[in-house]
Amino acid sequence: MQKNLLVLTLFLCSLLVNLSYAQEMAVTGKVSEEGGGEVAGVNVVVKGTNRGTTTNDKGEFSIQAEKGKVLIFSFIGYNSKEVTINASILDVSLTPEATALNEVVVTALGIKKEKKALGYAVSEIKGEELTVARTPNMANSLAGKVAGLNITGTATGPAGSTRITLRGNGSISGNNQPLIVVDGIPINNENLGQAGMWGGADQGDGISSLNPDEIENISVLKGATAAALYGSRASNGAILVTTKGGKMEKGIGLEVNSNYLAEDLLIKEFKDYQYEYGMGNNGLKPTTVNEALTSNSWGTRLDGSNVIQFDGVSRPYSAQRDNLSKFYQIGSTFTNSVAFSGAAATSTYRFSMNNMDNKGVMPNNTLHRNNFALNVNSNLGKKLSILTNIKYVYEKTKNRPRLSDSPGNANYAIYSLASSMDVETFRDTKYDAAGNEKVWSDNVYVTNPYFAAYDFQNNDQKNRVIGAIEPKFDILDWLFVKGRIGIDYFNYRYRAIEPYGTAYKVLGSYTSNQREFMERNMDLMLGIDKKFGDKFGFNLLLGGNQMRNVNRLTNLGGNNFNIPFFYDISNIDPAARTSSENYIERRINSLYGSGEFSFNNYLFVTATARNDWFSTLASGYNSILYPSVGASFVVSEAIQMPAAINYFKVRSSWAQAGGATDPYKLLLTYALSGAHNGAPLAQINNTEIPNSLLQPLTSTTFEAGLEARLFNNRLSADIAYYSRKTTNDIVNATVSYTSGYNAAVFNVGEISNKGIELLLNFEALRKNSFTWNASFNMAYNKSEVINLYNDLQTLRVDENRTRTAYVHQDVGLPYSQVKGFDFKRDDQGRVVYDAQGYPLQGNLMSYGSGVSPWTLGFTNSFRYKGVGLSFLVDGKFGGKIFSGTNALGYRRGNLEETLPGRDGGLIGEGVNENGEANTVRVEAQPYYDRIANNIATPFVYSSDFIKLRQVIIDYAIPSKYLGSKSPFKAISVSLTGRNLWIIHKKTPNIDPESNYNNSNAQGLEFYSAPPTRSMGVNLNLKF
Amino acid sequence: MKYKIFVLLGLMTFLGSCTKDFEEVNVNPNAPAIVPLDYLLSQSALLLAGSAGDPGYKSWRANFIYAGCIMQQMASVEVGFYRGTVYTFQGDLSAAYFESSYPNSIKNLVNLIDLASKDAKDVNVLSMARILRVVETSFLTDLYGDVPYSEAGKGFISKINSPKYDPQQAIYMDMLKELDEASKAFNPASYKPTTADFVYGGDLDKWKRGANSLMLRIAMRMQKADATNAQAWAKKAIDAGIMASNDDSFTIKMDKTGAGNNSNANSWNLGAGRKIADGNNIQWAKTFIDMMKARKDPRLPVVAALKNGDRSVDKQIGIPSGTDATTLTSLPEKNLDNYSRAAPNMYVLSNPYFIMTYAESQLLKAEAIERGWATGDAKAAFEAGQVAAILQLNAYGGTLTDADAKAYSAANPYPSGTLDAKLEAIQTENWLINGSVLNHMEAWADWRRTGFPKLVPVNYPGNETNGQIPRRLRYPQSEVGVNENITEAITRQGGDTFMTKIWWDK
Repeated sequence: MQKNLLVLTLFLCSLLVNLSYAQEMAVTGKVSEEGGGEVAGVNVVVKGTNRGTTTNDKGEFSIQAEKGKVLIFSFIGYNSKEVTINASILDVSLTPEATALNEVVVTALGIKKEKKALGYAVSEIKGEELTVARTPNMANSLAGKVAGLNITGTATGPAGSTRITLRGNGSISGNNQPLIVVDGIPINNENLGQAGMWGGADQGDGISSLNPDEIENISVLKGATAAALYGSRASNGAILVTTKGGKMEKGIGLEVNSNYLAEDLLIKEFKDYQYEYGMGNNGLKPTTVNEALTSNSWGTRLDGSNVIQFDGVSRPYSAQRDNLSKFYQIGSTFTNSVAFSGAAATSTYRFSMNNMDNKGVMPNNTLHRNNFALNVNSNLGKKLSILTNIKYVYEKTKNRPRLSDSPGNANYAIYSLASSMDVETFRDTKYDAAGNEKVWSDNVYVTNPYFAAYDFQNNDQKNRVIGAIEPKFDILDWLFVKGRIGIDYFNYRYRAIEPYGTAYKVLGSYTSNQREFMERNMDLMLGIDKKFGDKFGFNLLLGGNQMRNVNRLTNLGGNNFNIPFFYDISNIDPAARTSSENYIERRINSLYGSGEFSFNNYLFVTATARNDWFSTLASGYNSILYPSVGASFVVSEAIQMPAAINYFKVRSSWAQAGGATDPYKLLLTYALSGAHNGAPLAQINNTEIPNSLLQPLTSTTFEAGLEARLFNNRLSADIAYYSRKTTNDIVNATVSYTSGYNAAVFNVGEISNKGIELLLNFEALRKNSFTWNASFNMAYNKSEVINLYNDLQTLRVDENRTRTAYVHQDVGLPYSQVKGFDFKRDDQGRVVYDAQGYPLQGNLMSYGSGVSPWTLGFTNSFRYKGVGLSFLVDGKFGGKIFSGTNALGYRRGNLEETLPGRDGGLIGEGVNENGEANTVRVEAQPYYDRIANNIATPFVYSSDFIKLRQVIIDYAIPSKYLGSKSPFKAISVSLTGRNLWIIHKKTPNIDPESNYNNSNAQGLEFYSAPPTRSMGVNLNLKF
Repeated sequence: MKYKIFVLLGLMTFLGSCTKDFEEVNVNPNAPAIVPLDYLLSQSALLLAGSAGDPGYKSWRANFIYAGCIMQQMASVEVGFYRGTVYTFQGDLSAAYFESSYPNSIKNLVNLIDLASKDAKDVNVLSMARILRVVETSFLTDLYGDVPYSEAGKGFISKINSPKYDPQQAIYMDMLKELDEASKAFNPASYKPTTADFVYGGDLDKWKRGANSLMLRIAMRMQKADATNAQAWAKKAIDAGIMASNDDSFTIKMDKTGAGNNSNANSWNLGAGRKIADGNNIQWAKTFIDMMKARKDPRLPVVAALKNGDRSVDKQIGIPSGTDATTLTSLPEKNLDNYSRAAPNMYVLSNPYFIMTYAESQLLKAEAIERGWATGDAKAAFEAGQVAAILQLNAYGGTLTDADAKAYSAANPYPSGTLDAKLEAIQTENWLINGSVLNHMEAWADWRRTGFPKLVPVNYPGNETNGQIPRRLRYPQSEVGVNENITEAITRQGGDTFMTKIWWDK
């Protein structure tokens, strides 16, 4: 299909170029850098045609063109320039891009503003940065590119969700992720399902569905200032995605992009596992099938002898180091996209299609995605214009990997195999005689990895439409009115089967969920944009918004299939079926205004205000007004500065944002839960203690920053300091089970985040067609939980399946504390052992924050003529992670650290309960088992890392080689690699970026999918 | 022009600030705010029995993995998972009963008691709920010691997020008071739930006898710690009238639809849900089988079968407690298939879930008489208990007859010697009853109080008890850090180990 399209479009384009030209002449000239030397490799195109050439080593060009036509000069790193041909010799100078003083950025509500007018920090990412070094999940390609933007992927593969935070976490248990806005429409970026303590699969989020080929640019608004115009949900900042539109150009522009990515395990061997002792318990080899039903490696020294295994077959008792690479496969992603764009009469348009097929490293896991998008901008008469855009996304995922706890989680089994077990044995002996999963260990809940991958089903499909219609009417040349209706709608179907014969659920289970989501935003705006004289400018925007957000959930399920291996709800006894429907609606109504005043084009002051009314809070508590004010002063334009300073701006802003909570948190309700022996059943529906007195929360941000360009614009810097405080935070906190509830909703949290962000760009070298640019970004965020509830000092947010490690919010400490049980210690810190010689459990202690306060990214780009090389190294520092995988590796005797004491036992170093030196010798297995079950300290690591995140080699074929008859305007090829190398880490066996979900509880790891690296090739054709 | 702009601004304001229907929008259309009390009563009983929620979650961990194995009624060679066999700790296993009961049964019962006390006509529902709350609380406190009680389950009603841990003594005194008040408050003239009452189907007289029998059980439990009150309450219970026949046994009636919440939680674990009996995961222990064989117990072929279904008495063998997969290979029988496990009739999903049998109430009465706390014929009560215990197994599909029961009683006569000898006879019967109706938690409590039957502890490497039989379960680690009150409870009891003795176990 894709191939046919390609042929067709090639044919169409070859028609377009067979045009003839009249009165042509040879135009020659030289291109040089403003105030500098000649520039080679500059593209020179006759505007409105496909004719083009490039400058040679001396910066010279020659092209046939008609007088009066326009030549376009473009080259990476420079601003394009258009020159009308009025003579046959034309010398042109280009300005480097960094000197673009009037850089325009997209801000809230899609309003384009000069960057110099902004009182807050904005970062932009160009579409190409996402398409060249592409990741199947777009959000992951933002990593390391923006100071203060923290991207944490879920360890689950490309269809999973991503945690995105800007400037730290402002809320204890509410949403901390920025609002994602696509072409002015806030889109749903909720996680549709995630793994928790008891397992589960990550069902992906909203941003991962976007097609990077459609993206013109991404604008990251870091402060709360965007909230004035987008409402409370932008209190954590906003990520504005602008898709490509049509351009006023002749003919139909065509762009084709093909990308192939291969994905492979990054960690192929458990480097810190032991391969000296084999399967077994208590220092013995199995001699019977019963003894072989274990995943423990507490056997004897590996000796290559034949030892019985769970299936009754004896195999060599020798090290099996290759289980990871034997089980996981090479993944691949093939993406093709085609886009048409152009102009007709009074409209411009762009239409694009995209097809992506992904095969995961987890066997039998695939993801298929199609994107279609249409943008039309029509001018209907002089005063009225209508912008319409619509996107359709279809996604189909097969067998998302389960994570965390063991049931149906292939990763769990792979990570916990005994050192002498070959994983391929499980492929060959998956079933017993009855066709059921063959039990292979003493815990039926640890599923055979091949059974988990091939017999379990975990499939979903999503149809999504995002669309907006935006009419604008210019009443006067300084007064306009604009409306917008935007809809994000999707239908998500999910079907999961625990198959008949599953060891832990012999008769199987069926789950079918459907979720219909709709969010509609209606805006009406009145805008004024007026200049008073030469010096004063004024613009004002007033608007109202109605937001309606609805989720309809339908669930159908049940246990116990009657007919073996037939999977349908009709195969479950009607009385054993469960079904439910949920309708969840929330609304927010808002009024907002924004005014900007400018003086002499170097002083800008902006003020905004917004009032929100929330349906999710009780009347009387449901309204909040929040203002903001910001100023920008371009010092270098106001006063004469030293010659070394080309540009200098200072900025500051103060902004507030309000926020609410989810629906139905105010009242106690009941769940009707079927009937038993003719009597209907009902129980309390709430697992959180409802609270009818909830009020809106407030987040306040102060920010100050400066932007400078120095030394002929070769060095540019953007530095920001911010201080953000959330008060009245709506806290969803774990409370004691004995209260009857898992959590309570409070309204009293207070969190502070302070930090600095630094962005440096340095043109290290520019000589003879060779350039070297270095870009460095760094951010530090210091968070502190200031207040919880009354005199409450600590709140539990999450718990690891090992039951020894937790994530808490502690008063006076940074956000998301990783906590766990320490060894019991005496006054001198010595470990205390019981009379039998085993270490005792001590106090619950804090190890540090699960969120790294330091993030940095460092990009170096080299370019020689058309060839470019760039690489990005990024890192995070200062965080902690608890590894449940390693804790259970201890219990099972898989880790190298469990070697001491294998022969003859060991005496733990420390004292007994009387304070005397411990002298009791104990066996190794119960010793390490005791530690794994009671103590977290040995499994808490620094999550610091440095990774070679991305390498790109690209080559744009100079247009002179394409020739004037070629249908191509441009051809570029690039080779990319992502996540190639973990240069530095401190976590044995696991990737420090291995959180099993994207919730607020960061810092817990448990049997995640292994990390992968990818390498690919990208081909881009423009016609 | 100006007019148009005003219209526009008006429209904008309307768009932004019209919030009239917001309160309706925030009403959950799928969950009612008020339901009939019967619905809550019926669900509460199922939550108590561990069926609703994750079916069998707490029964598997507390009743089988710990209590059943600790009591040497059940055993498993999978000692790394069925940790009660060898007295080792794993957090989620030890915590299960605690963590599952409070947010399910206790929460809903406390709420139901609150609602039912608002109107005098609901007094019968109220009394049933109070009694059920005592049942669940007694399981909790007997497993863990001091637990939240007076403030438990009140997160919504009283906004208590971190309930205090009541001393077990106070819990016991209040449970007795509750049983007394609740059984006296039953009023035949008021509304009676019938189909919604899965215990006695609305029979208030049975409820009274059930409540009094529970009172007797709880009173006898205090025998070592507070003999005076134990005596007073035991007498009060017997005087008020305890169970009169097997029809009075306190059970929760189940169904066999296949849905988790309709099923007997023990059956769910042994059979359809987790298949741990047929899967060779857990079997009858040698101590249990040997004792039945020695006593010519007619219940043996009802409760036990080999994997191939063979119920013949001479083929039944139990696994010696503490055997792991390795030591199994040094036993004469190396094949797990040939060891006895719960027979399939023991795990039919619709089997009743036993809280307390009539037989047990007779045996406790015999003990009370022997102690001089009640009047009557101890031997007669003992024998009535023996007979009832045998016939009770017909609830599990047995076909035992009066003759079988009489023969058993004759073979195991009431001793005439010391109080200790009599107590041993009584508690051995109790141990067999509770083992055969899968109420291992109760068997463990009885054993801790009386030390009967005499069990030989297992001393497995790495055990947490220095080779002694555990006296309680450890608290959930999850409580540390969310409920400061646990610290005080641990200090008060002198630690949080398997060997920490709870109040009545002195």
